[in-house]
Amino acid sequence: MPLRRRLPALVLVAVVAVGAAACSSSSSSSSASTASAASTAGASSAPGGTLGGTADTTTPAASLTGAGASSAQPFLTRAFYDYNRTNPKLTVNYSAAGSAVGISDIQAGTVTFGQSEIPMSASDQAKATGGPILQVPIDLGGVAISYNVPGAPTNLQLDGNQLADIYLGTVTDWHQIDSSIPAGTTIVPVHRADSSGPGYDLDQYLIDTSPAWVTAIGTTTASKTWPKANVGVGQQLNSGVATYVKQTPGAIGFVEYAYALQNGFTNAALRNTSGSYVAPSIASIAAAGSHATDLSSANFNIVDAPGNATYPLANFSWSLIYQKQKSTDTGIALGKLLDWIATTGQRNAQPLGYAPMPANAQAVAHTALLQLQGADGSALFAS
Amino acid sequence: MSTIAPAANGASWAPVDGVAATLADRRARPGGRLYAAVRWGGAALFAGVFALLIFVLLHESSSAFAHMGITILWRGWNPAKNQYGAGVFAVGTLLTTLVALVIAVPIGLGTATFLAELAPRWVAAPCTVLVEFLAAVPSIVVGLWGLIVLTPLFARHVEPFLKDVPVLGALFHGPPLGASILLAGVVLAIMILPTIVALSRVAMSGVALADREAGMALAATRWQVARRVVLPGARRGIRAAVTLAMGRALGEAIAVAMVVGNNTAFPHSLLAPGATLGSAIVNSFSEANPGTLEKSGVVALVVVLLGISVLVNAGGQILLRARKGAPPPRGPVEEILAVTGPAS
Amino acid sequence: MTDTTLSLEGTPPATVAAGHRELVRDGVQRRLGRRRRVGNVATSLCAAALCVSLVPLIALVAYVVSRGLPALSVGFLVHTPTPEGIPGNGIGNAIVGTLVIVAIAMAMAVPVGLATALFVVERPGTLSTALRFGADVLTGAPSIAIGVFAYATFVIAFGYSGLAGSFALAVLMLPIMLRADEEAMATVPDDLWEAGLALGSRRARVVRSVVLRSAVPGIVTGNLLAMARAIGETAPLIFTIFGSQFYALRPTSPMAAMPLTIYTNATQPYADAQRTAWGTALVLMVLVVMLSVAARAVAAHLNRKAR
Repeated sequence: MPLRRRLPALVLVAVVAVGAAACSSSSSSSSASTASAASTAGASSAPGGTLGGTADTTTPAASLTGAGASSAQPFLTRAFYDYNRTNPKLTVNYSAAGSAVGISDIQAGTVTFGQSEIPMSASDQAKATGGPILQVPIDLGGVAISYNVPGAPTNLQLDGNQLADIYLGTVTDWHQIDSSIPAGTTIVPVHRADSSGPGYDLDQYLIDTSPAWVTAIGTTTASKTWPKANVGVGQQLNSGVATYVKQTPGAIGFVEYAYALQNGFTNAALRNTSGSYVAPSIASIAAAGSHATDLSSANFNIVDAPGNATYPLANFSWSLIYQKQKSTDTGIALGKLLDWIATTGQRNAQPLGYAPMPANAQAVAHTALLQLQGADGSALFAS
Repeated sequence: MSTIAPAANGASWAPVDGVAATLADRRARPGGRLYAAVRWGGAALFAGVFALLIFVLLHESSSAFAHMGITILWRGWNPAKNQYGAGVFAVGTLLTTLVALVIAVPIGLGTATFLAELAPRWVAAPCTVLVEFLAAVPSIVVGLWGLIVLTPLFARHVEPFLKDVPVLGALFHGPPLGASILLAGVVLAIMILPTIVALSRVAMSGVALADREAGMALAATRWQVARRVVLPGARRGIRAAVTLAMGRALGEAIAVAMVVGNNTAFPHSLLAPGATLGSAIVNSFSEANPGTLEKSGVVALVVVLLGISVLVNAGGQILLRARKGAPPPRGPVEEILAVTGPAS
Repeated sequence: MTDTTLSLEGTPPATVAAGHRELVRDGVQRRLGRRRRVGNVATSLCAAALCVSLVPLIALVAYVVSRGLPALSVGFLVHTPTPEGIPGNGIGNAIVGTLVIVAIAMAMAVPVGLATALFVVERPGTLSTALRFGADVLTGAPSIAIGVFAYATFVIAFGYSGLAGSFALAVLMLPIMLRADEEAMATVPDDLWEAGLALGSRRARVVRSVVLRSAVPGIVTGNLLAMARAIGETAPLIFTIFGSQFYALRPTSPMAAMPLTIYTNATQPYADAQRTAWGTALVLMVLVVMLSVAARAVAAHLNRKAR
């Protein structure tokens, strides 16, 4: 039969088929939810036992999903892969759609965990549909100030006031920053066009160190959106800033340290609150983390931390999970996985350009995970 | 001459088939009702999705509009000061789209004319397919290529050259940074070129063979036939092609964000780094926490962009209608259809 | 030549008559030699336009090939992704995912676009004008807005899935397809309409037998353009399909797709990731080319059958 005769029927079948497919997808359980094998946990007081970290990698079978910051993705996927090698019953799928999507997904409960560079605020947490949220630090990264200035020294020393001048556009020639650089090289300040954790860190640093910056932006609250986007050039994501700085003489921009390391950038040595000029390195970023003696999701800021060897631009990345887990198996798997990542999993940090978390941060992670509860409110882990 | 593009429809025999089908039809059920239902269903689905989209957008952006009021149209964007205005972005969108159209429409029409009318077959066929390959490049790849290859090229060679051009040079002042409104316009032009070429070419090949042959019979050259008969005859299709291309240019976000410079100050020259509604949306969306005013502001930018799209399309329709004059009177075919009625 | 104008689409005879009058006037006023020279200059300019059009294409393709070719291997096309530093990386699940998502999206959009275009062509009136205008406006919507819309509706209702991604892509493609389909049908010459109607057929029958068949090349071109655009879109997928490191078993579960792979890899600093991104870009382009060629062959076959 010629096609034209069958066309209306084909169209109708196509529409109905699509309708049927759409209907069937709604009756099958949402694939983003956390299905698991039949739970064996009874009413024992701590079905997860002891949160062991290093040695114990056995968990109930589970398939977890997470969404959030793209900066954590290389580290997390490696961690999940390693964990899966020792424990094939646990698979994790992570989507690097951005911190905001991670927050919105965990608020709606469509993923097992969210991932954000900045922890959720009180108002964010109020919108979570499944109860209180636990925020667990799982990696530690830094922000490098990279520059491409022919004739400049390596590890050029910059303090907050000079950086503010650069990013406010009040200083336009590199010679004014460092007289050893010949005159005539225009400064091209490069910022992140999209909202970002590194932007937040630098904004916080400039607020802490430069009164001119505070006056210009009119606030003392740091923001993920770069507040002075009318100066210089903005690029998308770390990769955009890195590419543009690499190809533009006179450019200076901020990127995650992992980027600067992989691309062999020249980075500035920043003045920290103790008066030392420190260049970014795994060690100096780790030092920033270790000075966070009172670390918590409400007190998460480690920018401009004290210490002679402390790099002032650093931040933790936070996993967001519900305290009350609907499925005991999922809760146990999640707790053990995150605890493993916070301790043993840190061995993958350095090769990827991140600093291993110091002991104080690991303790915060451990304490947070101990608060995990099953659906009935009883603790999942004994200690 | 075999180089005249034959009627691409090959429909000479279709009416005969139509006769057989009609006769068969008369024996079978009318089938007209099923067909009408499918037609109505399609239109209803399309309209429904469209209406849902508008509703969701308006709903999500309502708090930003309430906060900013009408000032959203000219104020700037500064989340730190709770200011979510679309003014500068709208200017950037219009500028980049203008640059893209100025570059792509003449080149696209010239290419389409060449491929449809003037080129020998052995050139036209492969080149047609080649130009349409450009549509196959994902926008993120075009953006990356623009950032890695075009940005330094423009910064070092193109922009300094343009500054020295005698009269137009006034449009191009400021340091050559590479990332600029101009580069965004050029990248957009590259992206919309295949649309203009492909759809214009289809429109041109739809012009009836008889009309072309009549032109040939009047001893016209191929170019004259193209200019006097084909191009005017394809006017409608070319208009549709340019409209679709313009829509793409207005809404392109990722590729533009990689090359436009993302500077929220008002651009004083084509070489200045700027921002468009699309680039602003793509930059702010992934990190604006849900339920915040900033998130609502980003959706408001989408609404403003669609508003601009409405205005530009409506303006185009009005301009073109004014030139056409009064609508043509009903001809014989329309009379027949009026008698047979819309139900068939 | 009468000057009766038809309000049906296609080249109105009034325009044709005007064009022929111009030709006669030209012929009388200028000698053949001069007209030939003008023609040659114009032809050269148009040829130059073609060359200018091809330059960015060749540069782009050359760049993608040069960066993507080192990544290609049989394993690359079959394996699933591995983390940074672990060998055996592949995009097999992303290739399959893209094919599935785009196929479903086409199945959603092509019939609706065709049916709506038929509606608009056959029933000119306020509703049709509104639909056409709506399509023009929608083509200006950034794809990220459509991705967000699909998230707010489909994902909230049914969860992350390849189907949500197909929905987003279908919404993206629909306005383009509608406009292109409508234009293809509208440029059918009036004598074909007249012939069909003169044989006593109803309008619907004329459309199906006559108009659709002659509009097939335009419809195929327009739908191909829409598909090529949709295949390469990242933003609608970021918020809908979630991505996956594994082969997806059903479209109702999270899936991987090539544009998403390109995006997540291209934005990382590691050399492996960069290579994967460009390799994926190359595979994607080759895929679109193959699909275009196949669709064109089908259209040509249909055309030949019509003759």
